[in-house]
Amino acid sequence: MSLFEAAFGFGLVSMSVIALAAVGFTMQFGITNIINLAYGQVMITSAYVAYYLNRAGVSIWIGMIAGAIFGALFSFLLNRIVYAPFQRKGTTLLGMVIVSLAVSLMIANLLLPIVGYYSTSYHQDPGGLIRLGGIALTSNQIVIIVIAVAVMLAIHGLLTYTRLGKAMRATAANPSLARNCGIPTQRVVDAVWLITGALCGLAGVVAALNADSFAIASGAGFLITALAAAVLGGAGQPYGAMIGAVIIGMVTELSAAQWSPEYKDVVAFGILVAVMVLRPQGLLARRGALAAAG
Amino acid sequence: MLVARDIHRHFEGMRAVDGVSIDVPKGQITGLIGPNGAGKSTFMAVLAGTLPATSGSISFEGTDITHLPTYTRARRGVVRTFQLPSEFARLTVLENLLVAAPDNRGDSLWGALRGKSYWKADEDRLVAQARALLRRFGMTAKESDYAGTMSGGQKRLIEIMRALMLRPRCLLLDEPMSGVHPKIVDEIKQYLQSLRAEGLTILMVEHELHMVEQLCDSVVVMAQGKVIGSGTMASLRRQQEIVDAYLVG
Amino acid sequence: MNTYYAANLLIYAGVDIIACLALNLQFGVSGITNFSFIVFQAVGAYTAAVLSMPPDTAAGYDFQVYFGGYQLPFPIPWIGGAVAGGLLSIPVGFFVLRKLRSDYQAIALLVTSIIANTVITNARSFLNGAAGLALVPQPLQDRIDPSTDTYQYLYVGLTALGVALAWFVSARIVNSPFGRTLRAMRDHELAATALGKNPVRLKMTIFIVGGMIAGLSGAILVGFIQVWAPSVWLYPETIILFAAVIVGGRGNNIGAILGALLVPVGFEEVTRLMERLNIGPPGFIPAFEWVAIGLLIMGFLWFRPDGVRPEPRHVFEGSPFPEEVESVRAG
Repeated sequence: MSLFEAAFGFGLVSMSVIALAAVGFTMQFGITNIINLAYGQVMITSAYVAYYLNRAGVSIWIGMIAGAIFGALFSFLLNRIVYAPFQRKGTTLLGMVIVSLAVSLMIANLLLPIVGYYSTSYHQDPGGLIRLGGIALTSNQIVIIVIAVAVMLAIHGLLTYTRLGKAMRATAANPSLARNCGIPTQRVVDAVWLITGALCGLAGVVAALNADSFAIASGAGFLITALAAAVLGGAGQPYGAMIGAVIIGMVTELSAAQWSPEYKDVVAFGILVAVMVLRPQGLLARRGALAAAG
Repeated sequence: MLVARDIHRHFEGMRAVDGVSIDVPKGQITGLIGPNGAGKSTFMAVLAGTLPATSGSISFEGTDITHLPTYTRARRGVVRTFQLPSEFARLTVLENLLVAAPDNRGDSLWGALRGKSYWKADEDRLVAQARALLRRFGMTAKESDYAGTMSGGQKRLIEIMRALMLRPRCLLLDEPMSGVHPKIVDEIKQYLQSLRAEGLTILMVEHELHMVEQLCDSVVVMAQGKVIGSGTMASLRRQQEIVDAYLVG
Repeated sequence: MNTYYAANLLIYAGVDIIACLALNLQFGVSGITNFSFIVFQAVGAYTAAVLSMPPDTAAGYDFQVYFGGYQLPFPIPWIGGAVAGGLLSIPVGFFVLRKLRSDYQAIALLVTSIIANTVITNARSFLNGAAGLALVPQPLQDRIDPSTDTYQYLYVGLTALGVALAWFVSARIVNSPFGRTLRAMRDHELAATALGKNPVRLKMTIFIVGGMIAGLSGAILVGFIQVWAPSVWLYPETIILFAAVIVGGRGNNIGAILGALLVPVGFEEVTRLMERLNIGPPGFIPAFEWVAIGLLIMGFLWFRPDGVRPEPRHVFEGSPFPEEVESVRAG
């Protein structure tokens, strides 16, 4: 198996992990217009929830469910207690960024005395190696890919076939119009934070499982990678986030194989800045990303 | 004076302005009317340079300005106001006017670093000029109030005064009376008439047809991104399609 | 209170004041949310270090790997630091100061700051990677022995000169027609453009000026603490400075100074106090500090977004009703 094929295999896993995080993030932005910079920290916190369960002997797959539930509740409360009040007060977009930065710092530093500075990892048997063509992946990694695909299909189903999904799309497109059409935007927003929070928590556990080790400091990297995929695909577009995840997952792994694994994050960060500056609307263009008038 | 030829403005599949040509005659008030969504404000934005034209050309006093940015057009004498209130909220009314003045030595980094003695003379002159304008428009008492706390009508006046500080040769007014108290509407009307008497060229978007009738020497009618008629209000009233499309009242 | 402690406090206060004045020019007056601000202080520090240190092959310095090492005397390293800050502003400004949604712009700058830190950490031969630079020579150390009290006074004096310079530039800008134009651009960029102001040129100018002052603050700091590593300039450091400007009051220089004294300096002192009195679990006091800063930011954004000392209203001589005009906050 060549280095390239191995990198390709890792790319498949990477894109799965990133997709889980990015879709949740982008839906939060698309429907509530909040760039939730605390997203990475919620991911890490959920990863630690699964970690403590794991240390108590619980399998990591159950841990994922626990992480998802935790992420859902935490994100829902975060919006209700912090974001929504500030938004209602008329805080500017920039003010919201500062608020979410403050929240992310607070979460990280409240967690620090509990979990410490050092990195840890899960106790989970990686499973046997499975070969597909020239690629070899562990069974855990295959499961991760399957989970990601299943979740993407579920999101697609949610958005296309359910009433809630259609209400979400309407609210994302034009919130005031949606409200005037009788869509209960408050409940839609609550549902969005619960669902995307669950994605966030699940993504956190999955990302932590996929990495050799994780610590609180990993949160920033998680956030920016998810942000990169979301912005690349077109902020607020779930399908765009999936495409963005595919691209970033593959590009970062290939570049890590080609140059140096230390710069994997930097490649993702660089893509994010380049997109924001050169083509802010991303691949699936939508007006929300462009400069607001005045 | 201001000539636009075959202006197109397409964006995201929408043809907001679809081949508009107009000639704004010097020293007159020309109205730009039409139903909502006709593309009037978009066209004004293209004339001012805020939005780039997809195709077409604009010339001012014989010079092509199609590719010039807004601030350059403003310095050449084409100044616009906005449909939505656009005052500098955290500056006082007087400061709003002073910002507009183009010939202040203190309005550059080096000018600022050289200190007050360098630009005081310019500043004093411009303060006097601004205060004269405030007196003329009856807002002397509000000089030191924050512009953001002014009423809708006062903000409109501030915008017009601000534009006048630039000594423009062509004013592009986007709904200057909208949201304004009827008493002030009358005042604005009189100011615009006196400005016209002084030789200022004005193109204004306006919805109130009786105002258009009183103020405008000629009118251009737009609908769905195109010009569907132009001339005096009286001649337009005789064209049935235009009456049907828009002139109800 | 011994001299070193007092000097330490005053010099850190001076550096923070200089940084806050620069950030206020960019953010408070001109509305540029430079979330990569700390990188400009860092580039000033690295430049001053590399200009004043001997080459990395020299005796006593060969445990570090870095470029440069020109052993230039004071004040060249400090000037170099300021110039470097200004030079870095050009490409960063060029790429980011375009018509971009304000929160996007802020995030792009934030991520740039993280990229810079990661790259410097991993590029070991450039600026000695994660370990950073150490044994940075102190200005005028060959004239006056750095271990004496006299030297401490000297350094405080030099810092004060830096503060005076930053104050001079900031005051002249803020209180001039140029400052007024910047504030107008901040309040409504589109309207300012329609009145003949070139927003890109204005932003670039103030970005460079702010970058130079930030670079100077870095040079002053590195000359005192004699070390500089990536861990010193992580992205949250920018947030502390933003907190300072928000708390102190943006758009005015006194607010910026107040913010510098309340937030970075205030917190430094409280941290020191807590460590001495053994309050809180050791090693995690900084963590509580960060939580407090987060709460402070949110508290001020909620209750008093204009800060402790809001931007003052400018009343001109000969104003009709001077007695009615007090310091009323902006609507």
